[in-house]
Amino acid sequence: MIEVRNLTKRYGVNTALDHVSFSVEEGSIVGFLGPNGAGKSTTMNIVTGYLSASEGEVTVGGHSILEEPSEVKKMIGYLPEQPPLYMDMTVREYLDFMYKLKKVTLPKEKHIREICALVKITEVYDRLIANLSKGYKQRVGIAQALLGNPPVLILDEPTVGLDPKQIIEIRNLIKNLGKNHTVILSSHILPEVQAVCERVIVINRGKIVADGTPDQLGHDLTTDHRMIIRIEGPEREIAAGLKNVNNVTDVQILGEKEPGVFEYSVEGPEGKDIRRDLFAFCSRKGAPLLAMRSTDLTLEEVFLHLTDESYMNRVKTRKPVPKADETAKGGESA
Amino acid sequence: MSAIFKRELKSYFSSPIGYVCVAAILFLYGLFYYMVMMNRVSDLIGNYVFGSMFSFGMMVIPIITMRSLSEDRKNKTDQALLTAPVSVTGIVWGKFLAAFGVYFIATTLALLPAIVIGFYASPSWGLIFGNYLGSLLYGAAMISIGVFLSSLTESQIIAAITTFGVSIILLMIDSLASSAGAFMAEVVSWISFQTRYSPFTTGIFDVSSIVFFLSVVAIFNFVTARRLESRRWS
Repeated sequence: MIEVRNLTKRYGVNTALDHVSFSVEEGSIVGFLGPNGAGKSTTMNIVTGYLSASEGEVTVGGHSILEEPSEVKKMIGYLPEQPPLYMDMTVREYLDFMYKLKKVTLPKEKHIREICALVKITEVYDRLIANLSKGYKQRVGIAQALLGNPPVLILDEPTVGLDPKQIIEIRNLIKNLGKNHTVILSSHILPEVQAVCERVIVINRGKIVADGTPDQLGHDLTTDHRMIIRIEGPEREIAAGLKNVNNVTDVQILGEKEPGVFEYSVEGPEGKDIRRDLFAFCSRKGAPLLAMRSTDLTLEEVFLHLTDESYMNRVKTRKPVPKADETAKGGESA
Repeated sequence: MSAIFKRELKSYFSSPIGYVCVAAILFLYGLFYYMVMMNRVSDLIGNYVFGSMFSFGMMVIPIITMRSLSEDRKNKTDQALLTAPVSVTGIVWGKFLAAFGVYFIATTLALLPAIVIGFYASPSWGLIFGNYLGSLLYGAAMISIGVFLSSLTESQIIAAITTFGVSIILLMIDSLASSAGAFMAEVVSWISFQTRYSPFTTGIFDVSSIVFFLSVVAIFNFVTARRLESRRWS
Protein backbone atom coordinates (compact mmCIF):
# COMPACT_ATOMS: atom_id res chain seq x y z
CA MET A 1 0.00 0.00 0.00
CA ILE A 2 2.74 2.39 1.00
CA GLU A 3 6.19 2.06 -0.51
CA VAL A 4 9.02 4.21 0.75
CA ARG A 5 12.34 3.84 -0.97
CA ASN A 6 15.61 5.50 0.00
CA LEU A 7 13.94 8.49 1.50
CA THR A 8 16.42 11.20 2.39
CA LYS A 9 15.67 14.65 3.70
CA ARG A 10 18.30 17.25 4.30
CA TYR A 11 17.83 20.58 5.98
CA GLY A 12 20.94 22.45 4.97
CA VAL A 13 23.76 20.43 6.45
CA ASN A 14 21.49 18.45 8.76
CA THR A 15 20.24 15.14 7.54
CA ALA A 16 16.83 14.50 9.04
CA LEU A 17 16.26 11.25 7.17
CA ASP A 18 18.98 9.07 5.81
CA HIS A 19 17.97 6.56 3.13
CA VAL A 20 14.90 5.24 4.88
CA SER A 21 13.09 2.41 3.13
CA PHE A 22 10.07 0.45 4.24
CA SER A 23 6.79 -0.73 2.93
CA VAL A 24 3.43 -1.13 4.58
CA GLU A 25 0.92 -3.71 3.43
CA GLU A 26 -2.73 -2.95 3.11
CA GLY A 27 -4.70 -3.27 6.31
CA SER A 28 -1.83 -3.29 8.76
CA ILE A 29 -1.13 -0.99 11.67
CA VAL A 30 2.45 0.15 11.79
CA GLY A 31 3.99 2.09 14.63
CA PHE A 32 6.82 4.54 14.22
CA LEU A 33 8.88 4.64 17.31
CA GLY A 34 11.74 6.91 18.06
CA PRO A 35 12.99 9.58 20.39
CA ASN A 36 12.12 13.20 19.74
CA GLY A 37 13.77 14.50 16.60
CA ALA A 38 14.38 11.04 15.19
CA GLY A 39 12.60 11.79 11.93
CA LYS A 40 9.15 10.35 12.57
CA SER A 41 7.24 13.51 11.74
CA THR A 42 9.48 14.28 8.79
CA THR A 43 8.76 10.86 7.30
CA MET A 44 5.04 11.37 7.78
CA ASN A 45 5.16 14.84 6.31
CA ILE A 46 6.88 13.50 3.23
CA VAL A 47 4.49 10.58 2.79
CA THR A 48 1.51 12.96 3.01
CA GLY A 49 3.05 15.40 0.57
CA TYR A 50 3.50 18.27 2.99
CA LEU A 51 7.26 18.18 2.54
CA SER A 52 9.30 16.97 -0.36
CA ALA A 53 12.13 14.53 0.00
CA SER A 54 15.66 15.47 -1.02
CA GLU A 55 16.02 12.00 -2.45
CA GLY A 56 13.96 8.87 -2.69
CA GLU A 57 10.50 7.94 -3.66
CA VAL A 58 7.13 7.46 -2.02
CA THR A 59 4.20 5.70 -3.60
CA VAL A 60 0.82 5.20 -2.00
CA GLY A 61 -1.52 2.71 -3.65
CA GLY A 62 0.73 2.74 -6.70
CA HIS A 63 0.62 6.52 -7.13
CA SER A 64 3.77 8.54 -6.73
CA ILE A 65 3.46 11.50 -4.39
CA LEU A 66 5.53 13.60 -6.78
CA GLU A 67 3.75 12.77 -9.98
CA GLU A 68 0.17 12.38 -8.80
CA PRO A 69 -0.02 14.33 -5.56
CA SER A 70 -3.80 14.77 -5.68
CA GLU A 71 -4.41 11.05 -6.09
CA VAL A 72 -2.19 10.28 -3.12
CA LYS A 73 -3.62 13.03 -0.95
CA LYS A 74 -7.15 11.78 -1.57
CA MET A 75 -6.14 8.39 -0.19
CA ILE A 76 -4.59 9.70 3.00
CA GLY A 77 -6.14 11.04 6.17
CA TYR A 78 -3.46 12.87 8.08
CA LEU A 79 -3.30 14.02 11.66
CA PRO A 80 -0.14 16.09 12.03
CA GLU A 81 1.71 16.52 15.29
CA GLN A 82 -0.22 19.71 15.95
CA PRO A 83 -3.79 19.23 14.74
CA PRO A 84 -4.39 21.75 11.94
CA LEU A 85 -7.39 23.45 13.51
CA TYR A 86 -8.81 26.86 12.79
CA MET A 87 -9.42 28.37 16.19
CA ASP A 88 -12.04 30.81 14.95
CA MET A 89 -14.40 28.10 13.74
CA THR A 90 -16.84 25.84 15.50
CA VAL A 91 -16.32 22.10 15.21
CA ARG A 92 -19.26 21.96 12.80
CA GLU A 93 -17.87 24.70 10.57
CA TYR A 94 -14.41 23.21 10.63
CA LEU A 95 -15.48 19.69 9.70
CA ASP A 96 -17.71 21.19 7.04
CA PHE A 97 -14.76 23.07 5.63
CA MET A 98 -12.46 20.06 5.71
CA TYR A 99 -15.19 17.99 4.08
CA LYS A 100 -15.27 20.40 1.15
CA LEU A 101 -11.52 20.89 1.08
CA LYS A 102 -10.99 17.15 0.80
CA LYS A 103 -13.65 16.90 -1.88
CA VAL A 104 -15.43 14.13 -0.03
CA THR A 105 -18.39 12.68 -1.88
CA LEU A 106 -20.05 10.68 0.90
CA PRO A 107 -23.41 12.05 2.14
CA LYS A 108 -22.26 15.00 4.18
CA GLU A 109 -24.52 15.29 7.23
CA LYS A 110 -24.58 11.57 7.88
CA HIS A 111 -20.85 11.08 7.32
CA ILE A 112 -19.83 13.91 9.64
CA ARG A 113 -22.31 12.76 12.29
CA GLU A 114 -20.90 9.25 12.18
CA ILE A 115 -17.34 10.44 12.60
CA CYS A 116 -18.29 12.73 15.47
CA ALA A 117 -19.96 9.82 17.23
CA LEU A 118 -16.91 7.65 16.56
CA VAL A 119 -14.41 10.03 18.16
CA LYS A 120 -17.00 11.28 20.69
CA ILE A 121 -17.10 14.97 19.90
CA THR A 122 -20.83 15.20 19.31
CA GLU A 123 -21.32 17.13 22.55
CA VAL A 124 -18.91 19.90 21.47
CA TYR A 125 -20.17 19.99 17.90
CA ASP A 126 -21.31 23.60 18.06
CA ARG A 127 -18.54 24.98 20.20
CA LEU A 128 -15.68 27.17 19.07
CA ILE A 129 -12.53 25.13 18.61
CA ALA A 130 -10.49 27.75 20.47
CA ASN A 131 -12.49 27.00 23.61
CA LEU A 132 -12.01 23.24 23.54
CA SER A 133 -9.63 21.37 25.82
CA LYS A 134 -6.52 19.79 24.37
CA GLY A 135 -8.11 16.35 24.37
CA TYR A 136 -11.11 17.53 22.39
CA LYS A 137 -8.90 19.43 19.96
CA GLN A 138 -6.91 16.27 19.41
CA ARG A 139 -10.10 14.36 18.72
CA VAL A 140 -11.35 16.97 16.29
CA GLY A 141 -7.98 16.50 14.58
CA ILE A 142 -8.60 12.77 14.38
CA ALA A 143 -12.13 13.38 13.08
CA GLN A 144 -10.68 15.56 10.36
CA ALA A 145 -8.31 12.78 9.33
CA LEU A 146 -11.18 10.31 9.13
CA LEU A 147 -13.27 12.49 6.80
CA GLY A 148 -13.90 10.79 3.50
CA ASN A 149 -12.94 7.38 4.85
CA PRO A 150 -9.46 7.40 3.33
CA PRO A 151 -7.85 3.96 2.95
CA VAL A 152 -4.64 5.19 4.59
CA LEU A 153 -4.48 6.93 7.94
CA ILE A 154 -1.34 8.64 9.11
CA LEU A 155 -1.48 9.74 12.71
CA ASP A 156 1.35 11.63 14.32
CA GLU A 157 1.18 11.01 18.06
CA PRO A 158 -2.59 10.60 18.10
CA THR A 159 -3.00 10.22 21.86
CA VAL A 160 -1.01 13.23 22.98
CA GLY A 161 -2.92 15.35 25.46
CA LEU A 162 -5.65 12.83 26.15
CA ASP A 163 -6.54 11.50 29.59
CA PRO A 164 -5.99 7.80 30.31
CA LYS A 165 -9.60 6.87 29.59
CA GLN A 166 -9.55 8.71 26.28
CA ILE A 167 -6.21 7.18 25.41
CA ILE A 168 -7.69 3.72 25.76
CA GLU A 169 -10.71 4.76 23.70
CA ILE A 170 -8.58 6.22 20.93
CA ARG A 171 -6.31 3.17 20.92
CA ASN A 172 -9.32 0.92 20.55
CA LEU A 173 -10.62 3.20 17.85
CA ILE A 174 -7.34 2.96 15.96
CA LYS A 175 -7.33 -0.81 16.36
CA ASN A 176 -10.80 -0.97 14.91
CA LEU A 177 -9.87 1.36 12.10
CA GLY A 178 -6.92 -0.91 11.38
CA LYS A 179 -9.34 -3.63 10.32
CA ASN A 180 -10.18 -1.83 7.12
CA HIS A 181 -7.59 0.92 6.90
CA THR A 182 -3.86 1.00 6.59
CA VAL A 183 -2.62 2.91 9.60
CA ILE A 184 0.75 4.43 10.37
CA LEU A 185 1.03 6.03 13.76
CA SER A 186 3.96 7.51 15.51
CA SER A 187 4.59 7.59 19.16
CA HIS A 188 7.29 7.70 21.71
CA ILE A 189 5.04 5.95 24.15
CA LEU A 190 6.03 2.32 24.00
CA PRO A 191 3.09 0.58 25.62
CA GLU A 192 0.91 2.37 23.12
CA VAL A 193 2.77 0.96 20.17
CA GLN A 194 2.80 -2.43 21.83
CA ALA A 195 -0.93 -2.31 22.43
CA VAL A 196 -1.99 -1.09 19.03
CA CYS A 197 0.55 -1.97 16.38
CA GLU A 198 1.17 -5.19 14.55
CA ARG A 199 4.54 -3.96 13.47
CA VAL A 200 7.03 -1.50 14.84
CA ILE A 201 9.59 0.52 12.95
CA VAL A 202 12.15 2.07 15.23
CA ILE A 203 13.78 5.21 13.90
CA ASN A 204 16.74 6.92 15.40
CA ARG A 205 18.63 9.85 13.97
CA GLY A 206 16.98 9.51 10.61
CA LYS A 207 17.68 5.82 10.22
CA ILE A 208 15.63 2.72 10.69
CA VAL A 209 17.26 0.72 13.44
CA ALA A 210 14.68 -2.02 13.86
CA ASP A 211 11.63 -3.34 12.11
CA GLY A 212 9.40 -6.16 13.30
CA THR A 213 6.49 -7.12 15.49
CA PRO A 214 6.66 -5.88 19.07
CA ASP A 215 7.15 -9.44 20.37
CA GLN A 216 9.77 -10.22 17.80
CA LEU A 217 11.78 -7.15 18.69
CA GLY A 218 11.66 -8.07 22.35
CA HIS A 219 12.51 -11.67 21.67
CA ASP A 220 15.31 -11.14 19.18
CA LEU A 221 17.22 -8.99 21.53
CA THR A 222 16.75 -11.38 24.40
CA THR A 223 20.00 -12.71 25.68
CA ASP A 224 20.89 -15.59 27.93
CA HIS A 225 23.18 -13.42 29.89
CA ARG A 226 20.47 -11.99 32.09
CA MET A 227 18.43 -14.30 34.25
CA ILE A 228 15.80 -13.92 36.91
CA ILE A 229 16.34 -16.53 39.59
CA ARG A 230 14.49 -17.45 42.74
CA ILE A 231 16.51 -18.93 45.57
CA GLU A 232 15.49 -19.92 49.09
CA GLY A 233 17.76 -18.65 51.80
CA PRO A 234 19.11 -15.55 53.51
CA GLU A 235 18.89 -12.62 51.17
CA ARG A 236 22.14 -10.73 51.77
CA GLU A 237 24.34 -13.76 52.02
CA ILE A 238 23.09 -15.22 48.77
CA ALA A 239 23.28 -11.91 46.97
CA ALA A 240 26.88 -11.50 48.09
CA GLY A 241 27.62 -15.06 47.02
CA LEU A 242 26.05 -14.54 43.61
CA LYS A 243 28.30 -11.58 43.00
CA ASN A 244 31.31 -13.83 43.34
CA VAL A 245 30.06 -16.42 40.88
CA ASN A 246 32.08 -16.75 37.70
CA ASN A 247 31.05 -14.32 34.96
CA VAL A 248 28.41 -12.53 37.01
CA THR A 249 28.68 -8.78 36.59
CA ASP A 250 25.59 -7.50 38.29
CA VAL A 251 23.13 -8.73 40.87
CA GLN A 252 19.94 -7.03 41.86
CA ILE A 253 17.62 -8.14 44.61
CA LEU A 254 14.03 -8.06 43.42
CA GLY A 255 12.52 -8.72 46.84
CA GLU A 256 10.89 -11.52 48.78
CA LYS A 257 8.45 -13.41 46.60
CA GLU A 258 7.52 -16.25 48.96
CA PRO A 259 8.32 -16.59 52.64
CA GLY A 260 12.08 -16.96 52.82
CA VAL A 261 12.42 -17.03 49.04
CA PHE A 262 14.01 -14.11 47.27
CA GLU A 263 14.21 -13.19 43.65
CA TYR A 264 17.36 -11.88 42.03
CA SER A 265 18.19 -10.48 38.66
CA VAL A 266 21.64 -11.68 37.63
CA GLU A 267 23.53 -10.35 34.69
CA GLY A 268 26.61 -11.72 33.04
CA PRO A 269 28.75 -10.54 30.16
CA GLU A 270 27.01 -10.31 26.83
CA GLY A 271 26.93 -13.53 24.84
CA LYS A 272 27.83 -15.64 27.86
CA ASP A 273 25.51 -18.30 29.21
CA ILE A 274 25.60 -18.07 33.00
CA ARG A 275 22.92 -20.62 33.83
CA ARG A 276 25.33 -23.46 34.66
CA ASP A 277 27.44 -21.25 36.86
CA LEU A 278 24.34 -20.21 38.77
CA PHE A 279 23.24 -23.78 39.24
CA ALA A 280 26.67 -24.78 40.44
CA PHE A 281 26.63 -21.96 42.95
CA CYS A 282 23.29 -23.01 44.36
CA SER A 283 24.20 -26.62 44.72
CA ARG A 284 27.50 -25.70 46.36
CA LYS A 285 25.65 -23.41 48.73
CA GLY A 286 22.92 -25.99 49.38
CA ALA A 287 20.35 -23.32 48.67
CA PRO A 288 17.32 -24.62 46.78
CA LEU A 289 17.04 -23.03 43.36
CA LEU A 290 13.30 -22.63 42.86
CA ALA A 291 13.07 -20.83 39.52
CA MET A 292 15.24 -19.55 36.75
CA ARG A 293 14.06 -17.73 33.64
CA SER A 294 15.64 -15.58 31.02
CA THR A 295 14.28 -12.10 30.63
CA ASP A 296 12.56 -11.15 27.46
CA LEU A 297 13.38 -7.52 26.99
CA THR A 298 10.38 -5.28 27.21
CA LEU A 299 9.83 -3.04 24.24
CA GLU A 300 10.99 -0.22 26.41
CA GLU A 301 14.36 -1.83 26.88
CA VAL A 302 14.60 -2.74 23.22
CA PHE A 303 13.93 0.86 22.40
CA LEU A 304 16.54 2.16 24.77
CA HIS A 305 19.01 -0.36 23.45
CA LEU A 306 18.34 0.51 19.86
CA THR A 307 18.45 4.23 20.29
CA ASP A 308 21.43 4.25 22.59
CA GLU A 309 24.43 5.14 20.51
CA SER A 310 26.99 3.31 22.63
CA TYR A 311 24.93 0.16 22.52
CA MET A 312 24.77 0.29 18.76
CA ASN A 313 28.50 0.70 18.57
CA ARG A 314 29.03 -2.30 20.79
CA VAL A 315 26.71 -4.31 18.62
CA LYS A 316 28.62 -3.29 15.55
CA THR A 317 32.06 -4.04 16.85
CA ARG A 318 31.36 -7.13 18.86
CA LYS A 319 28.77 -9.37 17.39
CA PRO A 320 25.69 -9.09 15.28
CA VAL A 321 22.60 -9.31 17.45
CA PRO A 322 20.06 -11.56 15.74
CA LYS A 323 17.24 -9.35 14.63
CA ALA A 324 14.68 -9.15 11.88
CA ASP A 325 16.04 -8.84 8.34
CA GLU A 326 15.69 -5.14 7.96
CA THR A 327 16.91 -4.58 11.47
CA ALA A 328 20.22 -6.14 10.70
CA LYS A 329 20.57 -3.81 7.74
CA GLY A 330 19.76 -0.83 9.91
CA GLY A 331 22.07 -2.05 12.62
CA GLU A 332 25.01 -2.39 10.30
CA SER A 333 24.64 1.00 8.82
CA ALA A 334 24.17 2.69 12.18
CA MET B 1 -10.52 26.82 -3.96
CA SER B 2 -14.12 27.76 -3.19
CA ALA B 3 -13.94 26.05 0.21
CA ILE B 4 -10.87 28.07 1.12
CA PHE B 5 -12.39 31.26 -0.23
CA LYS B 6 -15.56 30.82 1.81
CA ARG B 7 -13.72 29.92 4.96
CA GLU B 8 -11.34 32.84 4.70
CA LEU B 9 -14.02 35.40 3.93
CA LYS B 10 -16.06 34.13 6.85
CA SER B 11 -13.04 34.23 9.11
CA TYR B 12 -12.41 37.88 8.23
CA PHE B 13 -15.82 38.66 9.61
CA SER B 14 -15.67 36.33 12.60
CA SER B 15 -12.80 38.43 13.89
CA PRO B 16 -12.86 42.23 14.09
CA ILE B 17 -10.35 42.62 11.23
CA GLY B 18 -12.91 42.47 8.44
CA TYR B 19 -15.27 44.89 10.12
CA VAL B 20 -12.49 47.28 11.10
CA CYS B 21 -11.10 47.39 7.57
CA VAL B 22 -14.49 47.85 5.97
CA ALA B 23 -15.40 50.48 8.56
CA ALA B 24 -12.12 52.35 8.08
CA ILE B 25 -12.51 52.43 4.31
CA LEU B 26 -16.16 53.48 4.56
CA PHE B 27 -15.38 56.15 7.12
CA LEU B 28 -12.76 57.72 4.85
CA TYR B 29 -15.03 57.49 1.84
CA GLY B 30 -17.76 59.11 3.91
CA LEU B 31 -15.44 61.89 4.93
CA PHE B 32 -14.53 62.75 1.36
CA TYR B 33 -18.12 62.46 0.18
CA TYR B 34 -19.04 64.88 2.94
CA MET B 35 -16.40 67.34 1.76
CA VAL B 36 -17.70 67.06 -1.81
CA MET B 37 -21.24 67.65 -0.58
CA MET B 38 -20.14 70.76 1.24
CA ASN B 39 -18.65 72.01 -2.00
CA ARG B 40 -21.91 71.19 -3.78
CA VAL B 41 -20.14 69.93 -6.86
CA SER B 42 -21.16 66.41 -7.76
CA ASP B 43 -18.57 66.15 -10.53
CA LEU B 44 -15.86 66.11 -7.90
CA ILE B 45 -16.99 62.70 -6.71
CA GLY B 46 -14.78 61.00 -9.25
CA ASN B 47 -11.63 63.02 -8.90
CA TYR B 48 -11.78 64.11 -5.35
CA VAL B 49 -13.38 61.21 -3.46
CA PHE B 50 -11.81 58.33 -5.33
CA GLY B 51 -8.57 60.17 -6.01
CA SER B 52 -8.00 60.70 -2.30
CA MET B 53 -9.09 57.20 -1.50
CA PHE B 54 -6.34 55.79 -3.69
CA SER B 55 -3.79 56.51 -0.96
CA PHE B 56 -5.99 55.34 1.88
CA GLY B 57 -7.03 52.18 0.11
CA MET B 58 -3.39 51.32 -0.33
CA MET B 59 -2.88 51.84 3.40
CA VAL B 60 -5.75 49.65 4.58
CA ILE B 61 -4.90 46.73 2.30
CA PRO B 62 -1.83 45.59 4.33
CA ILE B 63 -4.15 45.06 7.29
CA ILE B 64 -6.46 42.92 5.19
CA THR B 65 -3.72 40.74 3.72
CA MET B 66 -1.36 40.42 6.67
CA ARG B 67 -2.90 37.27 8.11
CA SER B 68 -3.66 35.62 4.81
CA LEU B 69 -0.92 32.99 4.62
CA SER B 70 1.24 33.85 7.61
CA GLU B 71 -1.41 32.80 10.09
CA ASP B 72 -1.83 29.41 8.46
CA ARG B 73 1.84 28.80 8.67
CA LYS B 74 2.04 29.84 12.28
CA ASN B 75 -0.93 27.74 13.39
CA LYS B 76 0.20 24.83 11.22
CA THR B 77 -3.16 24.81 9.50
CA ASP B 78 -1.22 24.93 6.25
CA GLN B 79 -0.64 21.23 6.86
CA ALA B 80 -4.33 20.64 6.36
CA LEU B 81 -4.39 22.73 3.21
CA LEU B 82 -1.23 21.32 1.66
CA THR B 83 -2.07 17.69 2.38
CA ALA B 84 -5.58 18.06 1.00
CA PRO B 85 -6.24 17.24 -2.64
CA VAL B 86 -6.17 20.89 -3.73
CA SER B 87 -3.50 22.55 -5.83
CA VAL B 88 -1.25 25.22 -4.39
CA THR B 89 -2.60 27.59 -7.02
CA GLY B 90 -6.12 26.91 -5.74
CA ILE B 91 -5.04 27.71 -2.19
CA VAL B 92 -3.45 31.00 -3.22
CA TRP B 93 -6.41 32.11 -5.33
CA GLY B 94 -8.81 31.19 -2.53
CA LYS B 95 -6.81 33.31 -0.11
CA PHE B 96 -6.47 36.14 -2.60
CA LEU B 97 -10.16 36.22 -3.49
CA ALA B 98 -11.18 36.25 0.18
CA ALA B 99 -8.95 39.24 0.93
CA PHE B 100 -10.22 40.89 -2.23
CA GLY B 101 -13.76 40.09 -1.10
CA VAL B 102 -13.32 42.25 2.00
CA TYR B 103 -11.99 45.09 -0.11
CA PHE B 104 -14.73 44.57 -2.67
CA ILE B 105 -17.43 44.80 -0.01
CA ALA B 106 -15.97 48.03 1.35
CA THR B 107 -15.51 49.65 -2.05
CA THR B 108 -18.95 48.61 -3.26
CA LEU B 109 -20.62 49.92 -0.11
CA ALA B 110 -18.80 53.19 -0.76
CA LEU B 111 -21.02 53.63 -3.83
CA LEU B 112 -24.05 54.12 -1.56
CA PRO B 113 -23.39 57.82 -0.91
CA ALA B 114 -23.02 58.35 -4.63
CA ILE B 115 -26.39 56.69 -5.19
CA VAL B 116 -27.95 58.88 -2.52
CA ILE B 117 -26.42 61.92 -4.20
CA GLY B 118 -27.91 60.63 -7.44
CA PHE B 119 -31.41 61.24 -6.07
CA TYR B 120 -30.75 64.94 -5.62
CA ALA B 121 -28.22 65.75 -8.29
CA SER B 122 -26.89 64.20 -11.46
CA PRO B 123 -23.36 63.00 -10.88
CA SER B 124 -21.40 61.70 -13.84
CA TRP B 125 -22.04 57.98 -13.51
CA GLY B 126 -19.42 57.06 -16.09
CA LEU B 127 -16.84 58.79 -13.99
CA ILE B 128 -18.00 57.12 -10.79
CA PHE B 129 -18.03 53.64 -12.23
CA GLY B 130 -14.70 54.27 -13.92
CA ASN B 131 -13.28 55.13 -10.53
CA TYR B 132 -15.02 52.21 -8.89
CA LEU B 133 -13.53 49.78 -11.40
CA GLY B 134 -10.12 51.43 -11.06
CA SER B 135 -10.24 51.14 -7.29
CA LEU B 136 -11.06 47.47 -7.52
CA LEU B 137 -8.23 46.89 -9.97
CA TYR B 138 -5.42 48.60 -8.09
CA GLY B 139 -6.81 47.11 -4.90
CA ALA B 140 -6.63 43.64 -6.40
CA ALA B 141 -3.05 44.24 -7.52
CA MET B 142 -2.03 45.51 -4.09
CA ILE B 143 -3.80 42.59 -2.39
CA SER B 144 -1.91 40.06 -4.50
CA ILE B 145 1.33 41.75 -3.42
CA GLY B 146 0.18 41.66 0.21
CA VAL B 147 -0.75 37.98 0.02
CA PHE B 148 2.65 37.25 -1.46
CA LEU B 149 4.44 39.09 1.33
CA SER B 150 2.38 37.26 3.94
CA SER B 151 3.54 33.98 2.42
CA LEU B 152 7.12 34.90 3.23
CA THR B 153 6.75 35.08 6.96
CA GLU B 154 5.03 33.56 9.97
CA SER B 155 4.55 36.95 11.53
CA GLN B 156 1.49 39.01 10.69
CA ILE B 157 3.26 42.15 11.87
CA ILE B 158 6.15 41.67 9.45
CA ALA B 159 3.70 40.91 6.66
CA ALA B 160 1.72 44.06 7.42
CA ILE B 161 4.75 46.31 7.70
CA THR B 162 6.44 45.09 4.53
CA THR B 163 3.19 45.41 2.59
CA PHE B 164 2.77 48.86 4.06
CA GLY B 165 6.29 49.72 2.92
CA VAL B 166 5.48 48.57 -0.60
CA SER B 167 2.31 50.70 -0.56
CA ILE B 168 4.27 53.76 0.45
CA ILE B 169 6.89 53.15 -2.22
CA LEU B 170 4.14 52.76 -4.80
CA LEU B 171 2.53 55.98 -3.61
CA MET B 172 5.75 57.97 -3.72
CA ILE B 173 7.35 56.38 -6.71
CA ASP B 174 6.11 59.04 -9.17
CA SER B 175 7.49 62.01 -7.31
CA LEU B 176 10.74 60.18 -6.63
CA ALA B 177 11.17 59.18 -10.26
CA SER B 178 10.63 62.68 -11.64
CA SER B 179 13.77 63.78 -9.82
CA ALA B 180 15.76 60.84 -11.16
CA GLY B 181 15.77 61.84 -14.83
CA ALA B 182 13.53 61.40 -17.81
CA PHE B 183 14.41 57.79 -18.47
CA MET B 184 13.60 56.69 -14.93
CA ALA B 185 10.40 58.69 -15.02
CA GLU B 186 9.43 56.81 -18.16
CA VAL B 187 10.15 53.42 -16.61
CA VAL B 188 8.42 54.25 -13.35
CA SER B 189 5.34 55.67 -15.03
CA TRP B 190 4.95 52.29 -16.65
CA ILE B 191 4.84 50.42 -13.35
CA SER B 192 3.31 53.17 -11.23
CA PHE B 193 -0.08 52.28 -9.84
CA GLN B 194 -0.94 55.96 -9.69
CA THR B 195 -0.23 56.55 -13.36
CA ARG B 196 -2.14 53.44 -14.27
CA TYR B 197 -5.04 54.48 -12.12
CA SER B 198 -5.33 58.05 -13.36
CA PRO B 199 -7.21 57.24 -16.60
CA PHE B 200 -10.02 55.76 -14.48
CA THR B 201 -10.38 58.97 -12.47
CA THR B 202 -11.34 60.72 -15.68
CA GLY B 203 -13.79 58.01 -16.60
CA ILE B 204 -11.64 56.37 -19.25
CA PHE B 205 -11.67 52.57 -19.39
CA ASP B 206 -8.06 52.19 -20.31
CA VAL B 207 -7.57 48.63 -21.51
CA SER B 208 -3.81 48.69 -21.06
CA SER B 209 -4.26 49.70 -17.41
CA ILE B 210 -6.82 46.96 -16.87
CA VAL B 211 -4.43 44.46 -18.38
CA PHE B 212 -1.61 45.87 -16.27
CA PHE B 213 -3.40 45.45 -12.96
CA LEU B 214 -4.72 42.01 -13.84
CA SER B 215 -1.22 40.99 -14.87
CA VAL B 216 0.16 42.13 -11.52
CA VAL B 217 -2.47 39.97 -9.83
CA ALA B 218 -1.67 36.96 -12.00
CA ILE B 219 2.08 37.33 -11.59
CA PHE B 220 2.04 37.77 -7.83
CA ASN B 221 -0.42 34.96 -7.28
CA PHE B 222 1.78 32.76 -9.41
CA VAL B 223 4.87 33.74 -7.43
CA THR B 224 3.02 33.12 -4.16
CA ALA B 225 2.05 29.65 -5.33
CA ARG B 226 5.67 28.93 -6.25
CA ARG B 227 6.70 30.23 -2.87
CA LEU B 228 4.37 27.80 -1.07
CA GLU B 229 5.65 25.03 -3.27
CA SER B 230 9.27 25.90 -2.60
CA ARG B 231 8.74 25.77 1.14
CA ARG B 232 8.25 22.05 0.83
CA TRP B 233 11.76 21.71 -0.54
CA SER B 234 13.57 23.88 1.98
